[in-house]
Amino acid sequence: MKNIDSKGHVTGKSIYLDDIPTIQGTLYGVVFGSPVAHGHIDAVDYSKALAMPGVIRIITHKDIPGENQIGGIIPDEPLFATNEVHFQGQPIALIIAESDHLASEARKCIELKISEKEIIVDPRVAQQKGELIQPPRTFALGDTEKAWAKCVHVFQGKADTNGQEHLYIETQGAYAVPMENGNIRISSSTQGPTAVQRTTAWVLGVGMHKIEVDVVRLGGGFGGKEDQATPWAVMAALGAQLLNKPIKVVLNRMDDMRMTGKRHPYSSDYKIGLSEDLKIIAYEATFFQNAGAAADLSPAVMERTLFHATNAYFVPNVQVTAYSCKTNLPPNTAFRGFGGPQGMFVIESALAHAAHELNVPTYVLQKKNLLKNGDEFPYGQIAADVGLQHIWSDMESKFDIQAVEKRIRAFNANHSDQKKGFSLMPVTFGISFTKTPMNQARALVHIYSDGSVGVSTGAVEMGQGVNTKMLQIAAQMFSLDPERVKLESTNTTRVANTSPSAASATSDLNGKALQKACNALLERLKQSAADHFGVSPGDIELKNEQVYSQGKATSMSWNQLVDMAFLQRICLTENGHYATPIINFDKTKEKGHPFAYHVHGLALTEVSIDCIRGVYEFDAVKIVHDFGKTMNPSVDIGQIEGGLVQGIGWMTMEELNYDNQGRLRSNSLSAYKIPDIYSVPKEVLIEALETDGNDMAILKSKAVGEPPLMYGIGAYFAIENAIRAFNPSFISTFDAPFTHEKVLLALYNHYGILENSKTGIRSSLSGNADVRIAQ
Amino acid sequence: MNNKSSNEEKKAVSRRSFLKGAGVTTASTVAMSAGLLSFKAPETAPKRPPVLGPGDTEVRLEVNGQQESVWVEPRTTLAEALRDHLHLTGTKVVCDRGSCSACTVWLNDKPVCSCMTLAVDAEGSKVTTVEGLADGDTLHPVQEAFIEYDAAMCGYCTPGMVMSCAGLLKRNANPNLDDVKAATSGNLCRCGTYPKVFEATLAAAKKM
Repeated sequence: MKNIDSKGHVTGKSIYLDDIPTIQGTLYGVVFGSPVAHGHIDAVDYSKALAMPGVIRIITHKDIPGENQIGGIIPDEPLFATNEVHFQGQPIALIIAESDHLASEARKCIELKISEKEIIVDPRVAQQKGELIQPPRTFALGDTEKAWAKCVHVFQGKADTNGQEHLYIETQGAYAVPMENGNIRISSSTQGPTAVQRTTAWVLGVGMHKIEVDVVRLGGGFGGKEDQATPWAVMAALGAQLLNKPIKVVLNRMDDMRMTGKRHPYSSDYKIGLSEDLKIIAYEATFFQNAGAAADLSPAVMERTLFHATNAYFVPNVQVTAYSCKTNLPPNTAFRGFGGPQGMFVIESALAHAAHELNVPTYVLQKKNLLKNGDEFPYGQIAADVGLQHIWSDMESKFDIQAVEKRIRAFNANHSDQKKGFSLMPVTFGISFTKTPMNQARALVHIYSDGSVGVSTGAVEMGQGVNTKMLQIAAQMFSLDPERVKLESTNTTRVANTSPSAASATSDLNGKALQKACNALLERLKQSAADHFGVSPGDIELKNEQVYSQGKATSMSWNQLVDMAFLQRICLTENGHYATPIINFDKTKEKGHPFAYHVHGLALTEVSIDCIRGVYEFDAVKIVHDFGKTMNPSVDIGQIEGGLVQGIGWMTMEELNYDNQGRLRSNSLSAYKIPDIYSVPKEVLIEALETDGNDMAILKSKAVGEPPLMYGIGAYFAIENAIRAFNPSFISTFDAPFTHEKVLLALYNHYGILENSKTGIRSSLSGNADVRIAQ
Repeated sequence: MNNKSSNEEKKAVSRRSFLKGAGVTTASTVAMSAGLLSFKAPETAPKRPPVLGPGDTEVRLEVNGQQESVWVEPRTTLAEALRDHLHLTGTKVVCDRGSCSACTVWLNDKPVCSCMTLAVDAEGSKVTTVEGLADGDTLHPVQEAFIEYDAAMCGYCTPGMVMSCAGLLKRNANPNLDDVKAATSGNLCRCGTYPKVFEATLAAAKKM
């Protein structure tokens, strides 16, 4: 089935937040954020701003009737700063005016006196000073202390990954409309309608029942609208409550980039030990997560780093510890992969380090240590449904790794200014929210008396095709023409207490809830038909909008059956509820069975480097992916291609740049580069692993949102491989992204010009250029 | 190396001479106009463009075949005029600085970034937005192909992408992959639908 939204998209008729026709009298809010990253607010003078024409009101923390608190996991983040500011762009006030132009003009006239305080931007510095969001956590298996003695080879080092701007193409925004009796209806571009509803209720000092949140669709989310869509919606609602007027708050791109959190930058230490026959015996890692100034989702992101610290490998002795470090950056947040990619990069770095020192190809180490069924993860879950060996042999048979290696070697031998490189990147990613209670969903299905169907779920459509999948499920189960099924907006009054659309689990959770609702309705309709034909319900089937009895078509259509059931006063509405079975996790022991299942895959990345200029392009990425039994190949392949490109972007060109004052320098699309049409690998081949699928997945079709992003990590190591062909004395720095500038320096670092990027010493080759070293 | 530096020098010299020349031209223009103003009758003075603003000014446009008139401040961009005044919200504002092409419309049949075009500069022009691309209920072949190849995910960059691709087919009925890439090189898609955009556009070209 094709994406059901495509026609609206290509004709410009799809409605996003900023396209909703505004009600007469609508006012516009612009956020005034802190110009410094850490300080005490001594005085704010709004008088000049308030005197400007068209300015209606300026709302601050003093106007909040409820709690000035938006922290989800830990209550440590005010909606508006009170006395202290902790990051640049931290909201201090909302200026409400007759237009956003007027509000923006007024913003320039606010006078602020701040006593600046010490600014920390480096997570390691924060950790040394004891600035932590929560106590550190450690996952362990076996005994690494004893294991080191058994290792023949031990390597240790440092591996860093920078953050990543979500750059959802639609910026953050919300539109709040006051209704009767103090109720407020919010249209929000959020992945978490319930988070918006709950937080708004707290701040406004009302019950959740007073707040209705509606989401039609998002112009991209990628995790950036899981928690961080909330403040803007709360501000709009607060304005609506105070002024009894509709209020729209839509961030412009620079405000959005400056005020919102990103993927967490990480700095990590690793130590890996191998046996004589290159089996990993022990692995230790310490992760320093740059959480920013408040918790946001950092504790959960940090947890997933620990879950995926050993990626697709079995390691008998593991000890991994993570610190969530409090710095003066905007609170970092969810981003596709949710901490998993940062953990995986470190073990891939450790393996690349070991392989280089031992003079064996990295893929030999990778292949030797792949996870098998029955192996234990450091968090206690026993690996099942693991197809990694099959995936690897599929890759070898379909794409012939050795032939690729030979071809690249031959090319490199014949070219002095151009070099090619390749890498393999296996991925194992757990599916479920790691916080077990979040693994529940509901779906509301109405069969209208004319036989058409309305479906509401808790899933938010943000381009991942979840609404298409939901419609497909309902149409298949009722055997209806898809045109007769409508996917409703996601609305807290129809489906309450939703989990955010996140963790790749949205289709599984909501799809299974929808199946339950459809099944209950089918049962009632079949009973009604069975009574009519004098047979048992098991004899009734519904096919192509026709009723079949004992395998034969009857004269009764779907419409007639629905009509008959309605006249018999049978309920044609059902609410399905699903909670993932089996899963559990005990945080006191850091052991359990947190994931319904895992998704596995393997990517082969080939790159070409221009060794004169340091620029590179990706010749091919070939992927063997475990879809289970994909229920919608077109949607799922789109997710893999898109995830891969986003992962490559994170590893190569996307250079988030905060200065030591905590100021975002890469604060617009002209200063922050995301993959464009030329960044796509010239060839992307995706092969599906032959498998029976997994019953925990919807229609045995495994989750596909996040796992492909991590194929992009292969890009980093393919570039390293190519650099080494030009500069054999190249010393790995493991500090992503591998920008063109860094590649150029790496190609020539045997001149001793680039002393040591790890020490933070700037290269003399760079002249005036600002060569950034990851913090 | 020697060649390179002598080239550099030549370039630098020529750039300097250009600037020098340009300076002279500017100066003489100033002198001339000053002369004109002091010695000639006012009615023969060169006509100055009308001063617009700071209030609203009327802009007349042909949008999707309809004659439209909007009253906007001179600073209003074409994208704002289309979205906020004509309620054609298919055109999206994403970066607001010509870096992403999401706001692409056709101005006199050529793709432009409507966030970088002032509405007053489009006075009297023919504007085609994504809403005006289809012929009634018959979609443009690029629109058809985007649906067929699932080339949209979240859909927010799609209107701009469609206008760029359809614009390419308007000037080149038989493009190859490199042409498609060049035509959409400014269009950013964060969902990463690029491979499907290639397929869809090439397929649409075949159908046209």
